[in-house]
Amino acid sequence: MKTFLYDGTFEGFLTALSLALDSGDSCAISKETAAETGLFSEFLDAEADPRRAAAARSLVERRGSAESWQHVRFAFLSEASGSETAILEYVKLLAEKGPAADNMLADDRVKKVHGLSAKVGGETHRFMGFVRFKELADKTLYSKIEPDHNILALLVPHFRARLGTFNWVIHDARRNNAALYFKGKLVYAPLASAQIIEDVKEAEVRELWKHFFKTAAITERTNPKLQRQNVPLKYRKNLTEFD
Amino acid sequence: MDLQEKLEILADSAKYDASCASSGSDRGGAGGTGAAHLSGVCHSWTADGRCISLLKILMTNECVYDCAYCVNRRTNDSPKAILTPDEIAGLTFEFYKRNYIEGLFLSSGIIVSPDRTMELMLEAVRKLRQVFRFNGYVHMKVIPGADQALIDQAGLWADRVSVNIELPTDKSLRLLAPGKTKETVLGPMSRLAQKITASKDERRSIKSSPAFAPAGQSTQLIIGATPETDREIIKLSEALYGKMCLKRVYYSAFVPVTKDSRLPALLSPPLLREHRLYQADWLLRFYGFKADELLDEKHPALDLSFDPKTVWALNNLDKFPLEVNKASYEEILRVPGIGVTSAKRILRARRAAPLSLDDLKKLGVVMKRAVYFVTAGGRYGGIKKESAESIKIKLLEHKNPNGQLDLFGEKELMKEGLAGTVTGQL
Repeated sequence: MKTFLYDGTFEGFLTALSLALDSGDSCAISKETAAETGLFSEFLDAEADPRRAAAARSLVERRGSAESWQHVRFAFLSEASGSETAILEYVKLLAEKGPAADNMLADDRVKKVHGLSAKVGGETHRFMGFVRFKELADKTLYSKIEPDHNILALLVPHFRARLGTFNWVIHDARRNNAALYFKGKLVYAPLASAQIIEDVKEAEVRELWKHFFKTAAITERTNPKLQRQNVPLKYRKNLTEFD
Repeated sequence: MDLQEKLEILADSAKYDASCASSGSDRGGAGGTGAAHLSGVCHSWTADGRCISLLKILMTNECVYDCAYCVNRRTNDSPKAILTPDEIAGLTFEFYKRNYIEGLFLSSGIIVSPDRTMELMLEAVRKLRQVFRFNGYVHMKVIPGADQALIDQAGLWADRVSVNIELPTDKSLRLLAPGKTKETVLGPMSRLAQKITASKDERRSIKSSPAFAPAGQSTQLIIGATPETDREIIKLSEALYGKMCLKRVYYSAFVPVTKDSRLPALLSPPLLREHRLYQADWLLRFYGFKADELLDEKHPALDLSFDPKTVWALNNLDKFPLEVNKASYEEILRVPGIGVTSAKRILRARRAAPLSLDDLKKLGVVMKRAVYFVTAGGRYGGIKKESAESIKIKLLEHKNPNGQLDLFGEKELMKEGLAGTVTGQL
């Protein structure tokens, strides 16, 4: 079986997708760094090519819909193992059936990609609530997150709309990547670790919040299981109130 | 008294209000800080599993009233505190920019008079909106008895407004809340309903006209402090949704926070009953049920061992099993184990291909409940000679594999995985 290897970028992936669709055989797609060696596998390098990437996108939008394109994008951002090949199978189905493919909710190929996409959308919504900023000495707001999926770019528009008058940084410490918003301009940059100096008032506000959080619970209704369901333990280390 | 002590006292007194929503508004725009998200955002969950989305505080816990159920009653000698409008606006802003919260929920005990209380609350929210240029979410309590002009102002500053009914009948109000009557509560509520509807109509033709409480109004009922039946409560909610155009009715299981001979001696708050009321409420709002279909004079209480939709289906077995490939959306919604999301998915998926029983599971239908009520392509997966009793037994086996019935306990609630209704998120 052929496996197309790509460089980890979305453009690289779409190039591999386009090559795999053209080859017609049963193929797999994998990140260069994650490829498993198999006795009968044949590895092919898919070098990122903007023309091929655009062709893959246009196929998804033409045969499917705007919704299909969003599923492809979100499923890719899930970074789940096997997601690339799952997307390939889904796009093949789109090519064959057209927009009706997105109605085939009980079909395993559709269910898989829709499911990954829903997970990414779900985690994005969760993090609209879970991002916690600290005010730094220079009044920049800094937040560290470690989400399961690569949702940084999906979160940014939400915070841009509400914190447009501030300078802020959202730092995905799991992927060493950061969105930096400074004087109304947004850039993404690699960021491994950040040395931060908190504003003098920061600790005081944090204490107020922690006290509020503790007080807001009704003792007679204590229900840690329900709390865990809503705030899984894995997210707590970056949440101020669970310090 | 420092800010931290004040916050603690005033958050402690506000926490019995069940309203948590930050949804229904898409405020925002150029300049200023903040925006509201149409579907609302939860920011954290406290140790009782309820969500935090707003800084929920009282302006003051001092009160001229002496309502028996209320933690802030005049004769309760707990420490009293008051926050100034500047403190309220400043605190909200500091919390908001750190993304701790979606906005402010401001309620208050009654200090001096309803008018004076409303004026101070309005000043806090005005500061937040005009000085801090805050575009996030604000939920304001309207103080019963306050002047109409003040109530109208609340609607202009806030996204959501609410007046709590608290006790479902006039008789109970008279007994436990001697300072309030049905009229003082329903009066402002119907005024708000008129203003909200009028503003919506106006904005349809003139977009720039000011929005009045764009996220609508809600209210709260206390459950279990007084002898009202579930039927009375659900009928009241139905009327409030219909006549007052309410967005939400919250149900708050009574927590005995004060001692009073007029109050029942409850060992623990009636959480399972509250949960069933939320389920019934959802059936009214999203599933096309009428209160009379769920409860009648002979059966005025919701069944604690089964959810209200299952109870309705068991009483209406002649309407089942339903063929999922043919039934209408409205019919499918009435099948136990099928929610709004899976009903929509069924309609979508069956356009592509006829569905089998296996497919239903893949679409997210809870088959252990739905199996007795549907056929797919003519195939039925339930028990052959179905009767309400035999299905009940089967359903209970699923819930209690050891054959132990724990109908009223916490276990039951957790197993259903639906304890989330404490925040109303069914």
